[in-house]
Amino acid sequence: MSIIVTDLTVRYGEKIVLNDISLEIESKRWTCLVGPNGAGKTTFLKALLGMAPYSGSIQDKGIEVFKSHKRNVAFVPQHPQIPQGMTVAEYVMLGRSKRDGWGNESLSSRSFVHKVLMQTHLFGMQSNLVAQLSGGEMQRALIARALVQEPELILLDEPTSALDLHHQISVLNNIEMLKEEGVTIISTMHDITLAAMFAERIVVMKEGKVLLSGASQEVIHSPELKRAFDNRIDVYTLDTGRPVIVASKEKHL
Amino acid sequence: MITEHGAIAKIWNWRITVFCGLILLAVAIAAVSFGPISINFFKVFKTLFDLPGGSTGQDRTVIMELRLPRVVLGILVGSALATSGAVYQTVFHNPLADPYLLGAASGAGLGATIALTSTNHNLYGALPIFAFMGGVLAVFTSFIISGKFFADPNSLLLSGIAVGSFATAIQTYLQQRHSAALRPVYSWILGDLTSASWSVVAWSSVYIAIALIILFSVAKQLDGLMLSDEEAYSLGINPKRLRIIAVAAATLATATAVSASGLIGFVGIVVPHLVRGLTHRVTNRSLITIAMAGAAFLVLADLGARTLLSPAELPIGVITAFVGAPFFLVVLRNRRKVTQ
Repeated sequence: MSIIVTDLTVRYGEKIVLNDISLEIESKRWTCLVGPNGAGKTTFLKALLGMAPYSGSIQDKGIEVFKSHKRNVAFVPQHPQIPQGMTVAEYVMLGRSKRDGWGNESLSSRSFVHKVLMQTHLFGMQSNLVAQLSGGEMQRALIARALVQEPELILLDEPTSALDLHHQISVLNNIEMLKEEGVTIISTMHDITLAAMFAERIVVMKEGKVLLSGASQEVIHSPELKRAFDNRIDVYTLDTGRPVIVASKEKHL
Repeated sequence: MITEHGAIAKIWNWRITVFCGLILLAVAIAAVSFGPISINFFKVFKTLFDLPGGSTGQDRTVIMELRLPRVVLGILVGSALATSGAVYQTVFHNPLADPYLLGAASGAGLGATIALTSTNHNLYGALPIFAFMGGVLAVFTSFIISGKFFADPNSLLLSGIAVGSFATAIQTYLQQRHSAALRPVYSWILGDLTSASWSVVAWSSVYIAIALIILFSVAKQLDGLMLSDEEAYSLGINPKRLRIIAVAAATLATATAVSASGLIGFVGIVVPHLVRGLTHRVTNRSLITIAMAGAAFLVLADLGARTLLSPAELPIGVITAFVGAPFFLVVLRNRRKVTQ
């Protein structure tokens, strides 16, 4: 069942961060939120998580998000709080707490964590400290924690922003593994080229509003996308048919 | 780390907890057995368990009315301070956080100073109550000032520092105005367990037990507070509510400990780091172990305070710092080697 957002408004004091958003997010698909800084993408993720007080309605499986405490939603923040002194195994194991209850260390849980550490190529690092992981490893640890959570929905805030090109692809591949398991994925991403490559649906946001949402290929070539970025982007299509979106140089001069 | 079953090892090894419990038991028995007055160890044992052949008369009084309540109070205060310290360090994401952080110590110090400088000498007996009220009031004020009731741990931390400084300023003023009270205030600040009696043990055990039961029951969830609020929430905990519960319980334990035994420094910082450093685990599953280690540490320090310069007594705070600081440095150094 999809997530239905109706007339969603979020205010921080006087400031309206999300303004009257209505949207349907298909389940078991990857939806990516794009738009300039300050568009309200992260706040939208927080509202979907149930952590931003909102007016209007967000219904997940027909239940209002902030009323439903039993949802299993994984959240991968852009700037995670790094727990000092915690090992990778402990960190990833935290993901089981929603399923198994806090502190449960059953053999099946630990086997599952073992399997996911292998999948995310973190096996062999489980005794390392989280604080000493590289950017790419840290992102994989976050994804691993989300994977062991076996969520119905995963929210990712800029999962690739701190990574080099190679690691971007490897992390996004890891996220795709979730989709294969029937998880609904909602992410924000600054790199629209990557968004178009991986996400099936793209939502274009600006100043707290949704300008457009739809299938990635349609959205990429639409004028609304350019409008969201004040016409300061160019969309090219490679010979392979893949779209590439770059900042247009002329407009910045 | 990996077992043959293809699973990761358990995060916490409960054998460490049992080992710590045994150490505490041994330390407690030693502390009741030794002191300035020498009593046969087996007689002490028989007296404690009311077996035939135990001590009678003065020796019995020394064991049952002086040493035993003192050891029990040491266990209570040590476990309270160590557990609160560990909890504060988790909640505030700050390895240097100690139980006195939110103004509990300064508030209690001010309360005690008011009692000691009062012209009404009847208030002397009410010192623990004044200290307790002062500590709780100071932390409560920090909460109120920080606004939004704990939306931001750092603002609570800062207001705790401000309230603490304010309370210390008033305390210093009172001390200057009543120079006769300087010595008792000073000795109270250094902390001691000499005032231990069954009545002190009785009232402090109630509050400390309540606080520790609460903290132990949320110990595993506390690991979630090491993450950001959004991550913690997605893992199924309400971070704001859990923080309030944890800080309130830790403050209750600290204020009670301070009222019963003055300001004993170093336990709240050193013991959690010792346990975490030696086990290479930061999980709060270790909270019970930290409590027992804190108890053993303080009882041992008190045994030293009583016997090293016997019949004179050293302030216990001197012992905790003297022993704790070098030990702490060794653990920190080893830990750094492991993590590098």
